[in-house]
Amino acid sequence: MEKMSRVTTALSSSALTGHTMHCHLDAPANAISVCRDAAQVVVAGRSIFKIYAIEEEQFVEKLNLRVGRKPSLNLSCADVVWHQMDENLLATAATNGVVVTWNLGRPSRNKQDQLFTEHKRTVNKVCFHPSEAHVLLSGSQDGFMKCFDLRKKDSVSTFSGQSESVRDVQFSIRDYFTFASTFENGNVQLWDIRRPDRCERMFTAHNGPVFCCDWHPEDRGWLATGGRDKMVKVWDMTTQRAKEVHCVQTIASVARVKWRPECRHHLATCSMMVDHNIYVWDVRRPFVPAAMFEEHRDVTTGIAWRHPHDPSFLLSGSKDSTLCQHLFRDASQPVERANPEGLCYGLFGDLAFAAKESLVAAESGRKPCAGDRRHPIFFKRKLDPAEPFAGLASSALSVFEMEPGSGSMSWFVDTAERYALAGRPLAELCDHNSKVARELGRNQVAQTWTMLRIIYCSPGLVPTANLNHSVGKGSSCGLPLMNSFNLKDMAQGLGSETRLDRSKGDTRSDTVLLDSSATLITNEDNEETEGSDVPADYLLGDVEGEEDELYLLDPDHAHTEEPEYVLPQEAFPLRHEIVDTPPGPENLQDKADSPHVSGSEADVASLAPMDSSFSLVSVSHALYDSRLPPDFFSALVCDMLRFYAEQGDVQMAVSVLIVLGERVRKDIDEQTQEHWYASYIDLLQRFCLWNVSNQVVKLSTSRAISCLNQASTTLHVNCSHCKRPMSSRGWVCDRCHRCASMCAVCHHVVKGLFVWCQGCSHGGHLQHIMKWLEGSSHCPAGCGHLCEYS
Amino acid sequence: MFVARSIAADHKDLIHDVSFDFHGRRMATCSSDQSVKVWDKSESGDWHCTASWKTHSGSVWRVTWAHPEFGQVLASCSFDRTAAVWEEIVGESNDKLRGQSHWVKRTTLVDSRTSVTDVKFAPKHMGLMLATCSADGIVRIYEAPDVMNLSQWSLQHEISCKLSCSCISWNPSSSRAHSPMIAVGSDDSSPNAMAKVQIFEYNENTRKELTSSGGPTKFEIHIVAQFDNHNSQVWRVSWNITGTVLASSGDDGCVRLWKANYMDNWKCTGILKGNGSPVSGSAQQGNPSPSLGSNIPNLQSSLNGSSAGRKHS
Repeated sequence: MEKMSRVTTALSSSALTGHTMHCHLDAPANAISVCRDAAQVVVAGRSIFKIYAIEEEQFVEKLNLRVGRKPSLNLSCADVVWHQMDENLLATAATNGVVVTWNLGRPSRNKQDQLFTEHKRTVNKVCFHPSEAHVLLSGSQDGFMKCFDLRKKDSVSTFSGQSESVRDVQFSIRDYFTFASTFENGNVQLWDIRRPDRCERMFTAHNGPVFCCDWHPEDRGWLATGGRDKMVKVWDMTTQRAKEVHCVQTIASVARVKWRPECRHHLATCSMMVDHNIYVWDVRRPFVPAAMFEEHRDVTTGIAWRHPHDPSFLLSGSKDSTLCQHLFRDASQPVERANPEGLCYGLFGDLAFAAKESLVAAESGRKPCAGDRRHPIFFKRKLDPAEPFAGLASSALSVFEMEPGSGSMSWFVDTAERYALAGRPLAELCDHNSKVARELGRNQVAQTWTMLRIIYCSPGLVPTANLNHSVGKGSSCGLPLMNSFNLKDMAQGLGSETRLDRSKGDTRSDTVLLDSSATLITNEDNEETEGSDVPADYLLGDVEGEEDELYLLDPDHAHTEEPEYVLPQEAFPLRHEIVDTPPGPENLQDKADSPHVSGSEADVASLAPMDSSFSLVSVSHALYDSRLPPDFFSALVCDMLRFYAEQGDVQMAVSVLIVLGERVRKDIDEQTQEHWYASYIDLLQRFCLWNVSNQVVKLSTSRAISCLNQASTTLHVNCSHCKRPMSSRGWVCDRCHRCASMCAVCHHVVKGLFVWCQGCSHGGHLQHIMKWLEGSSHCPAGCGHLCEYS
Repeated sequence: MFVARSIAADHKDLIHDVSFDFHGRRMATCSSDQSVKVWDKSESGDWHCTASWKTHSGSVWRVTWAHPEFGQVLASCSFDRTAAVWEEIVGESNDKLRGQSHWVKRTTLVDSRTSVTDVKFAPKHMGLMLATCSADGIVRIYEAPDVMNLSQWSLQHEISCKLSCSCISWNPSSSRAHSPMIAVGSDDSSPNAMAKVQIFEYNENTRKELTSSGGPTKFEIHIVAQFDNHNSQVWRVSWNITGTVLASSGDDGCVRLWKANYMDNWKCTGILKGNGSPVSGSAQQGNPSPSLGSNIPNLQSSLNGSSAGRKHS
């Protein structure tokens, strides 16, 4: 006891100083141990056994204990321990099973004192009794622990763990007679040194070998154990059954564990393989190491706190043949580098945000966060004031959801679902889409659609020029699907437009406008519509939104009267207004210069009237009266599409591209189109709009896109004879070796179109089967199946 | 504009990443408590935890979803020096796990010798590919040659960035106008370290040549650009949707925007301060760009720039 108190005073009189430093050893170290004066450290390994003095700036070699010419296996050390009361006394455990004690006070060069050759295999650990000068304990690979009295030649007692090997032995600091031992099989045993016959207590601590243990230096009965299962567990040994109080998960098997002095909850660990770092953990925060020392380049084999009452100096020896002194303040702190926030934008405009609660709390300070209630429970345990601990860090997770209608992506879904892209005349498509856009409150887009209709469906000139053009293009492109669509579309367009042409003779242009909008609801069934019928038809169409259009068109009509004859001359200058106004005046204000708009165009744009309805009118009149071919505008429309794509509204770009088809396609390069299509399809699929996406794929003219929905479609076929699935390609069944594609009616092999019933696998020539089914619904093969063809 | 919905995440330590899936109806969180949780949005809009499992033996830094075409697949990376690929198994549900989905580890990528700081799946059109970056500055690109077999990943490339990597981002553009690119940010804290942000590009031509000749399918990667102007750690890199502008955020509270000009030279086109005010780009050392930085509209248009915009500007 007297010596202990001296140690304490020694520290208080001259606090330890030093730096993070390292020195090179001649050979890899297996273990280190510190002298109780904290000024010397012993390093032991297979071929090294030296004492170094720890000085302010460096390690200085004091003594080489490996003496003698012939290297003895007795000197191949697996472990070394320096007596904590007698600074002249050391013990080493040799890999050949010998336990050696060393007396530094011997005058000769060889300091070897005693030799115990009782263990049969490697001694893994030696341990001095903390308060008894002559008691030494050893644990060996052979499964035995032996207690030596240094005053005697032989061991005093032998403890059998009834297990393969002992990995660690440690005297309890709290109980004079108790020691703990850990075993390869995962068990921890508690022994009374007076009772070698059986252990006091045994429990399974780890899954796999327990490599190390350490008693808490303060009198608490806590034992930390580390194992190959990468865990450090802290056990409360004071209770009847050992109770696990903490569990730290490290990233590699734990080779050594050492409680940090003066810090009740800290312990240092190092690993046996893979990981070369030393970690200091706060057992209350079991997932993130409090500190990390990264100096070593190979496995760290021994760690020791320099002084039992100083928490800032850690010594370590490593297989990389270095001895290091680490300063706690120089350690890297993984906590500091950990990202405290997570953020992600969802598809629907949701924003998920996770942040450290202390950050959130510091900001708002009023709302109790969800995790807060954990803290009071935690803080019930009395905290050590000397050891600042911020509390268990936790994050608050919240999702910020868009209020419906305010910027959420519902407009995209609605628009995608409701847009009509094909199957109707161009004018109807434009009107329909314009209506959809307007109902969703996207006026700029609605305006664009209206503009497009005006540009491309102005009466009189569209049919001839455009139809010819589209047919020519379509055939050269060689896509039958698109081709037929265009023809159909144009044919209908032709019908309605020639009709308009007829009506134009006696009505004014404004009624024409009304009429073409009315065709939206009054479709093919009233082909014979005359100019006079128009108002009635219009009233029949009961859609509410239509009235908006009426109102919107009305001021147009008011305007039309006056400037009718002035406008033709303005037709050319006004061209620029068309370029820039469809994108919308409101956008032009903040994004004045998109990369495409040259300076002069931008100037015109800023000069253009901001009243969109007015510009619409003037443009429409310019169109009617100047009889410009629609081709004239295609460059401008293309610019408009690019503008939309750049604004992030690739939906608009693709929709217009599909609706206008050949009219603009040639003016935009293939790659851009393909990119737009791909982006739009990707978006549609993200929103699970499979039908729309498939429609777009079908309507696309880009080869790379239109083959998308032909990929990975598998046809499963059964043989019509043996009813087994046909695995090989071709129409010969590899089981019954017959051709499966026989016509059930004419009994010939079908070449060309083959139709078959999915129920009974029988089928034949399309014409034959159709003919057969007119008479009977049973299978023509006579199998009795009621065939169904879809 | 937003309605906040607080979720009792019940992670036992810090959450480091949140990630929505492709359709925006699932969410994954990862935490230092070594677990990943998957949240599903119910009809009523509530988020329910449908899976929570221990993924690593260290802090989980990032979690990311694969394209649903490959199944319900997650990748995570961790302080424990590994990245892992997880797949959801839909199948028999016993009473105990009712409502809980089951995630199986398909592979562990153990090549890194230091903390794996980020993991990202490549855009779908490149197939099933995964990039990781680690604290020792190595970017690794893995590929699953068979998309049906998530347990086989081959290490395709190891790119050394020389600086500790903190984040990684694939260029999302599927346009064939340019080859796939990957941006890497470094959290190296020394102010004079070079190349805090780097962009790497696949050389598709080399790939084609080599695969057709039957040789190894390694294709050349060359560095497209490296930016030395960040004076601090870089925490995140992110591309715009068309892959023409790269944004990187640093510890100095600034977001820097990078854009290629017509010569494919990548330049800093703008700096945004955390408080929203733009910093003059011409103040950058060694980067005289007269037309940039001074005008905000230019910046905005470059932010929204499409691939078409890239060609024209």
